[in-house]
Amino acid sequence: MGKVIVCRCEDVTLEDLRQAFAAGHRDLESLKRFTGLSTGFCQGKCCAAHAGRFLAELRGGDDMVCDPTRTRPLLHPTPAACFAAIASGEAPDQEDA
Amino acid sequence: MPARAGEPLAAALLAAGVQVFGRSLKYHRPRGPYCLQGHCSGCLMRVDGIPNVRTCQTAVRAGMVVERQRGWPSASFDAFRALDWLSGQGIDHHSMFTSSAATNRLAARFVRRLSGFGELPAGEPRPPAPVERWQRQVVVVGGGAAGLQAARELHRRGVRSTLFERQEVAGGRLLDGSDSAGGDGQGSWARLAELHRQLEGSENLELLPGTTVVAVYPGDRLQVVAVQERRTLVVEAERLLLACGDYEQVRLFEGSDLPGVFAVRAFDRLFYLHGVIPGEPVVLCGDSPRLLRLAGDLVAAGVEVAALVSGATRPPLPAGEGAFPLVPGRLPVRASGGRWIERLEIAPAPSEPADGLFDCGCLVSEYPPAPAYELAHHAGCRVDFDSACGFRVVVDDGGRTSNAAVFAAGHCTGAMSLEQALEAGRRAATGMAESLSGGSGRED
Ligand code: FES
Repeated sequence: MGKVIVCRCEDVTLEDLRQAFAAGHRDLESLKRFTGLSTGFCQGKCCAAHAGRFLAELRGGDDMVCDPTRTRPLLHPTPAACFAAIASGEAPDQEDA
Repeated sequence: MPARAGEPLAAALLAAGVQVFGRSLKYHRPRGPYCLQGHCSGCLMRVDGIPNVRTCQTAVRAGMVVERQRGWPSASFDAFRALDWLSGQGIDHHSMFTSSAATNRLAARFVRRLSGFGELPAGEPRPPAPVERWQRQVVVVGGGAAGLQAARELHRRGVRSTLFERQEVAGGRLLDGSDSAGGDGQGSWARLAELHRQLEGSENLELLPGTTVVAVYPGDRLQVVAVQERRTLVVEAERLLLACGDYEQVRLFEGSDLPGVFAVRAFDRLFYLHGVIPGEPVVLCGDSPRLLRLAGDLVAAGVEVAALVSGATRPPLPAGEGAFPLVPGRLPVRASGGRWIERLEIAPAPSEPADGLFDCGCLVSEYPPAPAYELAHHAGCRVDFDSACGFRVVVDDGGRTSNAAVFAAGHCTGAMSLEQALEAGRRAATGMAESLSGGSGRED
């Protein structure tokens, strides 16, 4: 059996997720921190839904408890030059939602 | 390399027969475009000295210098690919080289050389973009079916709105070729033309294409951060309508990350908008009417179609019936090939042994797209998980989210038809207009 790549940016496989789950990482945030899932260039746009489904399956079909990982700006990789002119202290604060 | 003026660089490269665009981070697997929508990492290349440019979002120009990143001696033949073949099911990097601090440091240095993300940009750093601060009553994010229809409804009600669209041309799904058929103005292109007519010259609509919203900050007044090629906008908005659509996905199986495997809408754009067939014979996997239409149109255009593999046991008959084998009750389970997909194996179910094999020059893989929920999540709106599509923004009938200032409509709220997306856009705009006039504004 070859690899089934879930996260193409960071080369995380289904098998990586299965092992991480067995090691006790039972929610997406924890799986992300352990495997690197969703931490690459696309920030989970290609893998979060797949990983959520797989996690629900590992948990026995339980959709309801599947939370997304914490979402932070920026939505897309953006050159620093786009923000360099915003003076420090002037940037908007993100309130904890 | 020849190219058509204005077409995306990735389409020009595919048309010229380029197969490997780059290499993956850990196993150095070949990578190529699969979304053509600017959300994956498959098409990243170094363009004119700038690393990590999404070539599917970059218009081709004469004299561009385009280089592959990563890989040794080159990304198209990469010796480190051996890591992938030798590692079987994978490498667990958590416990490797951790026995002593010295080997760990050495290994970390080696790994950094092996992976990494391209070289630093050449030349002078880009000067800071000017930042403009705007105040707007209504900001709409996304100019697809739901966003345009919402803008149209707001316009009809005399509410001014500012619409940010990431692509240079608004339309989203309405631009898809395989939905464009349909008489009586029901096809997507006819709908788009109609919306365009209704909105043309509207004083109520400020339409800004080529503008990417990258952040939303909740607070007394919402702040929306949008970037353009040459300036950055920080917009204070009273209301926000998210119609940011979804991200194309492909079915997961062994080798489904090979170049040559495309999401349906990516292939749709290549074929209908750019006239590019990246490989033959084409295999299509999925059940939707639009996929059957696409298969029929491919045959009519003289493209070799090897098969339409359908998970359904009794799929509806395609337009080009008889022109290619229709394989019901099967799913793709393994794709193989060196730098590009060459073969596809199918099976009755993912857990069963393969019982069919096709030569495959290009795979069109249909899978439910994943809603773009992130901006709503920035704004603190409730998001839930639906196994049919993934994470999605939770809305009521009027497009209200759990944040009273934020509305959402269309595919960012879950799977739906084009018709439903248009209707959702109209309803969210209605709900929002009412909340502005204080009529049935809701505080929660
Ligand atoms: S980002 Fe360009 S193909 Fe996906």
